[in-house]
Formats: sequence, C-alpha cells, structure tokens
Amino acid sequence: MSRMPLPLDRHIKPKLVGYDPTRPRPGVERLAYTLFFGSLWALVVVAYGLVPALFRSQGWLDGALGFFFYAVIEALLAFGIAAVVALILIVVLRKYLGKVQERVGPMHYGPAGVLQTVFDALKLLGKEDFAPANVDPLIFRLAPAITFVSAFLMLVAVPVAGGWVMADLNVGLLFIVAASTLGAYGVVLGGLAQGGKWGMLGAFRAGAQLVSYEVPLALALLAVGVYSGSLRLSDIVEHQQGLWHVVPMFIPFLVYLVASIAELKSTPFDLPEAESELIGGFNTEYSGMSFAFFFLAEFVELFLLPALVVVLFFGGWHGPLFGLDPASFAAQALQSFYFLVKTAVWVWIFMWIRATLPRFRDDQLMDLAWKGLLPLALFGLILAAFLRMFVEVV
Amino acid sequence: MRGPTQILPTDRADEMLINMGPQHPATHGVLKVVIGLEGERVTRAVPHIGFLHRNHEKIEEARTYPQIITYTDRMDYVSGLQNELPFILAVEDLLGVEVPDRAKYLRVIFFELYRLASHLVWLGTGMLDFGAITPFLYTFRDRERILEIVEKTAGARMLPNYFTFGGVRRDVHPDFFKDVADFLDFFEKRLPDYYALVLDSPVFQARAVGVGVLPKERAIARGASGPVLRASGVAYDVRKAEPYDAYPEIEFEVPVREEGDVYARFWVRFKEMEESIKIIRQAIEKTPKVGPYKGKVPARMKVKGSRYRAVEISRGHLGAHVVGDGTDRPYRIKHRSPSFANLQLIPDLLVGARFADAIAILSSLDPVFGEVDR
Amino acid sequence: MSLLAEVWEAVRAIGQGMAAVNRRVGESAVTEFYPYQKPEIPPVSVQFLALIQNEDGSDRCVSCLACERACPSQVITIERKRNPAGKGFVLERFDLDFVNCMHCANCVEVCPVSAIVTVGDFEHAVYDVNMLKADKAFLDEIGRRAQVWYSPKFGVEIRKPDGSIEKAPPEMQPGGLAELLAGEEGA
Repeated sequence: MSRMPLPLDRHIKPKLVGYDPTRPRPGVERLAYTLFFGSLWALVVVAYGLVPALFRSQGWLDGALGFFFYAVIEALLAFGIAAVVALILIVVLRKYLGKVQERVGPMHYGPAGVLQTVFDALKLLGKEDFAPANVDPLIFRLAPAITFVSAFLMLVAVPVAGGWVMADLNVGLLFIVAASTLGAYGVVLGGLAQGGKWGMLGAFRAGAQLVSYEVPLALALLAVGVYSGSLRLSDIVEHQQGLWHVVPMFIPFLVYLVASIAELKSTPFDLPEAESELIGGFNTEYSGMSFAFFFLAEFVELFLLPALVVVLFFGGWHGPLFGLDPASFAAQALQSFYFLVKTAVWVWIFMWIRATLPRFRDDQLMDLAWKGLLPLALFGLILAAFLRMFVEVV
Repeated sequence: MRGPTQILPTDRADEMLINMGPQHPATHGVLKVVIGLEGERVTRAVPHIGFLHRNHEKIEEARTYPQIITYTDRMDYVSGLQNELPFILAVEDLLGVEVPDRAKYLRVIFFELYRLASHLVWLGTGMLDFGAITPFLYTFRDRERILEIVEKTAGARMLPNYFTFGGVRRDVHPDFFKDVADFLDFFEKRLPDYYALVLDSPVFQARAVGVGVLPKERAIARGASGPVLRASGVAYDVRKAEPYDAYPEIEFEVPVREEGDVYARFWVRFKEMEESIKIIRQAIEKTPKVGPYKGKVPARMKVKGSRYRAVEISRGHLGAHVVGDGTDRPYRIKHRSPSFANLQLIPDLLVGARFADAIAILSSLDPVFGEVDR
Repeated sequence: MSLLAEVWEAVRAIGQGMAAVNRRVGESAVTEFYPYQKPEIPPVSVQFLALIQNEDGSDRCVSCLACERACPSQVITIERKRNPAGKGFVLERFDLDFVNCMHCANCVEVCPVSAIVTVGDFEHAVYDVNMLKADKAFLDEIGRRAQVWYSPKFGVEIRKPDGSIEKAPPEMQPGGLAELLAGEEGA
C-alpha cells in the first residue's frame, strides 16, 4: 500500500491578492467615502446644472434635433447617477452593517474594501443568467427591468437645487406615486413568472404589501401638496423657505416615513423577500444580471425615498447661502450639496432602522397600513387643508 | 401503504402544499415540514425527520463504556457537553463511583456555560428567523468567548468529551475561574442589549405575543420539556425534580410563565440565561480551588443492571437508560431526547397559524436535529 | 390617550434598540483574517495527534495497544514484534486514519508513556482524502516539529530550542492552579 506524501509542507502560505485586509485603514476609508460623495455631487452638478445650462445658452433646445440629443444625454446621465448611487450605497450599507455588527465588512477589494461593489457587479455580469424550467420567459425577463426602470424614473422628477431638475413636471407628486407603483408590478410579475411556490408567496405578499402602502403614502404626499398649494416638487421645496414642512406636516411625515420603508421592502417590512421564510421570495429563482437589476433597483430606491423625505419635509435644497445670489451657478451647486448631505443623513437613518428591527407579519403590516396609517394620513390631509386655509387667510 | 407521516397530493383547489426543508434556512438543520397553505394560513403541517439519522444507540451497543462518551456528545451538538452527563450519571450509579466535590462543581460550571452557549445560538438564529440579522452576530461573538474558555481547559469547543466517569477528564486551566468570572461580567453588560433588541422590541412583541399558544395539558400530554414546558406554566426542571451533581447545594429559580406562546418561550430562555449566570457565580465561589477532579473508577468496567438518569439540558429533559449485562459493553442504551418530543408539537402549533408564525413557532421550539434523529 | 401612550412606548422601545445597535459602532471589530492572522491554539486543544520521540530519537511508544483499544472509531492500527534484544516490543507500524478520527483524544488519555499527544497544529487540510491516512513517519514528523504538546500523564511539555524536552510552567498546565496557589502561600 502506497503511503501518502507528507502534507506537512503543504501549509497554505498566504499570498496576498490585492490589498492587505488585516490593516485597518480608517484614513483611506474616510477618503474613499469623501470621494464617493464628491463624485456623486460632481455628477449631479454636471447632469442637472452644466448640461442644461450649456444647451440653453447655445439655444439648442429650440430645435427638435437639439432637444432629442438633450434628452438622450440627460437620460444617460440619470442612468449614470442611478448606477453610481447603487454602487456607492451597496458598499456603504455593507460597511455600515459590518461596523454595527462588530465585523469589518468587505475588506479585500480596494483599500479597506471600498471597491467591493465593482467586483460584485463584475461577478454578477459573468454569471449565467439561469432560468428554471417552468418560467414564463418573457415576463421573467421583463420583471427586473420594470422594477429598475420605475426606480430610475423617479429620479427624473427630483429637484436637487433651485431650478435644477431634469423634468419639472407640474404633477411631480403624482408622477412619483405612479412611478413607485410601477415598481410593484415588477416584483409581483417576477414572483409569479418564475413558477416556484416561494416566488408565488413572495408575489402575494408583495401585492398585498405594496397595495396597502400606496394609499397612505399617496395621501401623505397629497397632504403636502395641499399644504404647499402645488404638486410641482420644486414649488413644494420653495414653499419651505421659512419653515420646513416637517413641523406643520409632522403627521404626514410619520406616515410617509413608515410607508416609504415598506415601499423600500427593507426590514421591518421585507416580507416579499423574507429570506428566512420564503428563501428570497420574489427573487428566489433570479440569478446573474436579472438579480442584479432587482438589487440595483432596491439601492436606487434606498437613495430616492430618503431624497423625497428631504424634498417634501426637510427643506430640500434650502440652507445658508452666505450671501450668494440664489440664481447664480455657485449658489445652485451649494444647494445641491445641501440636498445631498440631508439625503445622506436620511439614508443613514434608513440603514440604521434596517440594522435594528425584526420583520413584521403580513397581516400585521396590513393592519398597520389600513387601520393605523390610513386614518392618520386622512387626519393629516384634513389638518393640511385647515393649515392651508389659515395660511391663506392670515 | 399510507404511513402516518405520508401526505398525499392535495385535491383542494385552494390549498397549496409546500415542502419546507430539508434545505430551508429556518428549519435549523434538516427538518422537512410539509405544509398545506391556504393563502398564508397553514392548514396542515407534517414534520418529516430522519435526515440526520446516524444510528447512535446501535453504535453505542458495540462500544466500551469510555468510548461511548464520545458518541453522546454528538447528539445535541449545540450544547455538546451536556449530553454526556445522563449516560455518565447512570453508569456511575451502576458502578457505585464516588464523585469528588470539586468535580461536581466543575461539572455544574461547564454544564451552565454550555446552557448559555446553546441559548445564545438559539437567540441568534431565532432572531434570524424573525428577520433581524444583527442579534445573530452579537450572540455568536459572545458564544465564541464561552467556547474559548472551554477550549483552554477541555481541548475542544463544541464536542469536548470532557466529563468522564467519576468526575472530569482533566483539571482546569489555571486561568479558568478568572476567565469565567470575566465572561460573566462581560455578558451581564451585554444582556440589556439583547432585551432591547429582542424582548422589548415592539415589532418582536407583535410577532410573538399570543402566537403558537401551547396549553398546559397539551404540553404535558405531548411530553414536552424544558423551556417549552415551563413557558406553558409547568414548573418542571430536572435540576430541581431529581437534582444531580452539585445542584442541590446551589440556589436558583426555575422561571415559569403561564401564557405558553412564543413570547413566553423566549422570555423563559432569557430568564434561564440570567439564572445560569447566578448558578455559575455560586459554583465558582463554592468550588474547592484544589483537590481531586476525578474519583476512583475501576480500570475494567463491568457494568451490570439497568439505570435511568436524566438531566436538564438547554432543550429539556435528556435521559439515558443504560442496561449492562456484566460485560464491558452495554446491552442496550436508550436516549430520551427533548427536541424529539418537542417536535411532536409541530402539527398542534402550526395548524391555523400564518406561515410567518410557523417560522416563529419553529424557532421558539429550538430543535437540534442531531438529537432528534440520533 | 392610552393609544398615544402605547405608540409612545413602542417608539421609545424601538429607539432603545437602535441605541443598542449604535453603541457597537465604536467597538473594535472581532474579525480574524485567518490565513494572515493565525489564532492562538491552547496546547490541550485536540487539533491533531502526533507521536513524540525521546530526546535521543527513540520511540516513546512501547506498543502496548492501549490507544488502539480505546479508540471509539477504531482508526488506530498498530503492528508490533517482540524485541529480540530484550523485553518489550518494537513498533513496526502505527497507522492513524484521520478521515474517521473524531478528535476525542481518548488515545491520548490512555497512553501510559505519553507517546501519542495532542498538538495545536491544525492546518492539515488536503485535497485528497487518502492523504489523511497517516502512518508512523508522518506522526513522528509532526511530533518532531511540535514545539508544545499535551498529554495527561506528563502535562504540557515544551521543546526547548536546543532540542531538550521539559515540562511547561504551571501557568500553562491544566491543574497548575494547585501548584500556583501553593507557591503563593510559600512566598
């Protein structure tokens, strides 16, 4: 019987690939987050400020061709913002959860792991996009796209500074509600199309949850619209010049906060996904890029819903301008900076809630929506109407 | 051929059968539950076990007595050390072995350390079932400290094979008592966080209060034990009912709650952790710092007669019935395991609950499949 | 009013949970980066088994077969022959199948001469199961490389840099407490 060769010298000599994970680098990490934030800000300034200013000053917007190019460029830039936001938030969320849970989070790719998402995206791109046997092929592929596009559509209507908005819709609030509701279709269709029981249960739950939450959400938004006298988002922000809406509109704010967490499908309202109950729910059978689209949509929403909290209740872009002319470019850039900082704070709060709470049950969630939030939202709406009357009379 | 656990495809249009497990994140191992769902409501639930069956009792018949201790560890692998005790106690009784005082207290300290470790695993994975990821990492970090203390003395972490006939296998590491005291201080500081994250959390209370109610009579009839039984209002604890080792000399309370729901089962385990801290503190105080750690045991064990001994492990009443025929190998060993009995409650508790509740109830029963299937 | 109180109570409890989570942000992480940072393994830890030789290079093992009998999973195979030059036996073959070994250290427990010991050496993962079937040469080699090991008979032993073997100080010994306490009383 042949004896084995001694495995003694086969000890794995660790060979470092990339960066040394054992070295904590708080300085590098801080620098990376600053860069992330700075690049996002730069992208916002380019997309919302520079490009429209250029087109307007050259008068290109008057011709059909010029407008077409403008639209295409803006759409690409919006997509860029969405992608950058998702790439940043994924690594920031993982790092934050790591810090909270006494771990270090991703550490291997990039100094202190800050490039983790890039490699994640590359991995997902390289994966086989597998579809199980009894899926509905068309809807199965369409669903992630619907979800992503709906998240991405909301970005268009968000004003980031005075006069800086991609599409200054006069029904901006309704557009937001419509776009976010569209996202529910992606989730429900994706769950039903994959032909699995877990996905089907996830789709049921998604349907029940999103329908329940759209109503108080819309009513809370409506209260803000009534109070500020306009559905145009930039008007709403302008209306908060003296007093942020969070003070007079506190009840709609609470309703909106809870409802937007449910909209986001993060804990405590992650029922459609519920990996410990439904093994992933609506995205059980998704892999590769299809999964990545759901994932990206989730993180774009993790940026957009806090951004809407800021726009509707926390004074949007308002902040001290240090004597700058509000119509000047510098003032607008500063305003977009304020907007992004406020949004970052709210993103952090959303992540914090996600790290703390366990999950609700489906019927409790509907109870909360229909019996708790809906009356509260209606009360908020009436209050908003009274306040509006009071403001107009005085 | 239609056995009691078989379930035929449903003929009802509004019922969906779903196989939860054996690879499901919330079944804590290899349980398969065939669940009939009507929307989100569970209409029937049939547990299928046996995916981890390793023939423990038969293997043990072919092993000598000292060898068997190694196998008993492998039953409830989450609280590994505790499983050794009933078998060892039974054989000690049959041989008439005298256990020195120090060994008795050391056994109590290790026994309660493993209760803490096991309850921490339960708490972490249980909260994972409830959708909260953060407590999971906290509890596993705390458990790691227990296992490090145990490893320093016993030589292994989960399955240490440390108790032996007449006492414990080796004397403790010189740092042991200090380490344990340090850990208890550390853990006492961490406990309020667990209360804030779990028991006091309104979301958790909404999920747990009034869910999966197990009436007292039902619990007794099904042979439930441990925290599951005590949460239903029966103050039965083997440590009090038939004390072993140094437990008669130690003062502690048996936490009991009347409601019998998921919240009560969580509450009882929380209080048990607090009691364990008290027990270990007392035991450290009372342990003779020096002295023999092992009694005199005959070199060749010839065991004759039959004896049943039980202990209260983290999950309940674990018993071992040893029948010796006068040779160095047992004629028969029967283990009575708590998770197996508790698992019988699945159809009782799950039917009529919502699907999310089913997961919560399963995690509150805290089964470990090494011990269910043996 | 009671409804408001309830809601307030719930919000306060959630706030407490969030505060508990936030307190941990400042605490240092406990992550170990395994291949780069090795954990400290106590010498009593049953990571791997080794055969120890005396300082002069002869086997400690006296081929008494105690470990073979004590092994619950029966992975030890010993062949021996009578010592032609005197009494006792000479070890011919000592095979230990780590594939089925349960790491219970019963063999270490029964060894009368502390020939088979536990060492804290744990990096023996291999790609081929057959490579885990250790023979005497392999176990000897691990024993030769070990710096510190444990057996109940002699306690924790240390190999000095010059190759001599001696007992570790009582701070490392299981049961060293008695010695330490006695020393304190004497001082």
